[in-house]
Amino acid sequence: MASREIISYDTGFFVKALKWISPIFLTFFLVWSLLPLFIMFVSSLKDLLDAFSVPAPGDWAGATVFFDFSPTFAHYVALFTENGFGTYLFNSLVASIGSAMIAVTLGSMCAYSLSRSEFRGKKDLLFWIISTRMAPIVAVIVPLYAIFRSVDLVGTLPGLILAFTTFNLPFAIWMLKGFFDGVPYAIEEAAQVDGQNRFQAFLTILPLVAPGLGAFVILCILFAWNDFLFATIIGSGGAKTLPAATRELVQPQNIDWGKIMAAGVVTTAPMIPLGLLVRRYLVAGLTMGAVKE
Amino acid sequence: MTVSTSYKGHPALSDQDWGFSTISEMPATMNPAPSRMFYVYLAAPAIILLAAITIYPFLWLIYMSFHKVGFGAAGDVFVGVENFSRLFSDARYIEGWGLLAKYSAICLSIQVVVGVTLAVVLNNSRHEKVLVTLFLMPMMVSPVVAGLLFYYLYNGTFGWYHWIFQSIGLLGETSILGSTKTALYGIILVDVWQWTPLITLITLAGLKRVPQDQLEANMVDGAGSISNFFHVSLPNIYPFLLIAVLLRFMDNFRFIDAILALTGGGPSNSTRLLPVYLFDVSFQFFKLGRGAAIALTLLIVTIILGMILVRVLEDPARKKALQGDTDN
Repeated sequence: MASREIISYDTGFFVKALKWISPIFLTFFLVWSLLPLFIMFVSSLKDLLDAFSVPAPGDWAGATVFFDFSPTFAHYVALFTENGFGTYLFNSLVASIGSAMIAVTLGSMCAYSLSRSEFRGKKDLLFWIISTRMAPIVAVIVPLYAIFRSVDLVGTLPGLILAFTTFNLPFAIWMLKGFFDGVPYAIEEAAQVDGQNRFQAFLTILPLVAPGLGAFVILCILFAWNDFLFATIIGSGGAKTLPAATRELVQPQNIDWGKIMAAGVVTTAPMIPLGLLVRRYLVAGLTMGAVKE
Repeated sequence: MTVSTSYKGHPALSDQDWGFSTISEMPATMNPAPSRMFYVYLAAPAIILLAAITIYPFLWLIYMSFHKVGFGAAGDVFVGVENFSRLFSDARYIEGWGLLAKYSAICLSIQVVVGVTLAVVLNNSRHEKVLVTLFLMPMMVSPVVAGLLFYYLYNGTFGWYHWIFQSIGLLGETSILGSTKTALYGIILVDVWQWTPLITLITLAGLKRVPQDQLEANMVDGAGSISNFFHVSLPNIYPFLLIAVLLRFMDNFRFIDAILALTGGGPSNSTRLLPVYLFDVSFQFFKLGRGAAIALTLLIVTIILGMILVRVLEDPARKKALQGDTDN
């Protein structure tokens, strides 16, 4: 192939340099990305004394002290027996899955309707939907707190689910609209010719967007699970989730870092496989559908 | 192909009288007009719920911004625009905008330079898939956990990152978060750690769509790889970068979780970005009226940014470039 030859002839200085530098760059970035997670995991297995031992500055060889410890699961046990992390894990699961299900169920209906209908002001409606997603949480949390307090939703799981829905529902509507736009109307037409009513026709095409629905359920779970501000303010009292509970382990004195790292691992561990599971939709999800891989 | 055009195209249904019934003579029940109400019913639950949890709080926010909000028996006192006018003389408010701008500018420049470089290197790497999977792990970490993790790593007596900083001579005894000169960089590093991979992913998606023929044409003209990158690849990935930067910029308004865990705004306000200041005014000092005024100004800027973003998204030329034809 002629084009290949042209490219392979290009052996300028920069190309050669890039060949040598890129593995170094990649290795450095790999260490930079994973080292904190690795330290978090290892530290969660250390008891108090081991966690505090660091060599003298400049003593590079002394860094091996990092691995010089006898692993203990005491922090994990303590989290669940003393600190009530079982409850927080349950709260996290219920609140994030609950809000994800509400968001994707109502969101798919709304998204389908917006995808198939044409009306004046549709653009404005869509902008309103996406702007609710972009609004800074700190800005809306005060009035939301006041409203939730007046109807006794503060510190309850339904309240927290509703709070998470403020960002998950607009996300689901916006993303799923893009999905339904890609499904040809002819399929529903055919279903209606077969005697189905319009709602049945809508249900007929759901399996076509099922992978997307599944992916957005998972992304909604991820956003809700990782949220801190709503969890700590709306959930304060009876509906504390893992991130909020982890933050509360930080005391003014005698901070038990092993325990905090263990709590960090408990909070992070379920999300990494989930995130990798929806890898294909991740970029679309995080750019509000603007960029597709 | 829509219904109406296909009917018209059929000779039996054209205007010419063929001697048997035409569409207009058919009973109405056989060909019902598409009901708009169906779409309204379908959209209503989501729209009503969203309105209840966003518009109602928004109106409440406006109400609060014109009042001195009292607690318990003390009612709200109408104060007019005082909450807003006081913002102009509030040094921390103005400083908060400045810090937010500085923080965003430094974060984004590092993330774009490193993220794009990484994407270019990855695009030429044989191990792209594995490496991307590993690189994107920090994005899955809850921001508050990331904040706590780095708080631990930065610790002046037992933090491993502090030890590294000391060992390479970057820092002395004081931890990176302990000094007003370095604390901002401490929180910037965490954002860079978590979100550079997103810029890389977005840029990679862009690089995959750079038309091969343009690259080749440029090379036939005698250009090298560097010229190729700046003259062909970069213009092609520009819309992707624009979106990445806008989204990250808006997220800096949205997420203060890591900053709350790392510094809480200190030392002596050196990391009190506007959203952090807003959090303090509302939840430390409980000045809900003033908080609402600050929140409204923050919201207005976010909405303007959002409009710019949507305009970028909706631009047909860009839309085409972004979505490409490689949908698989």
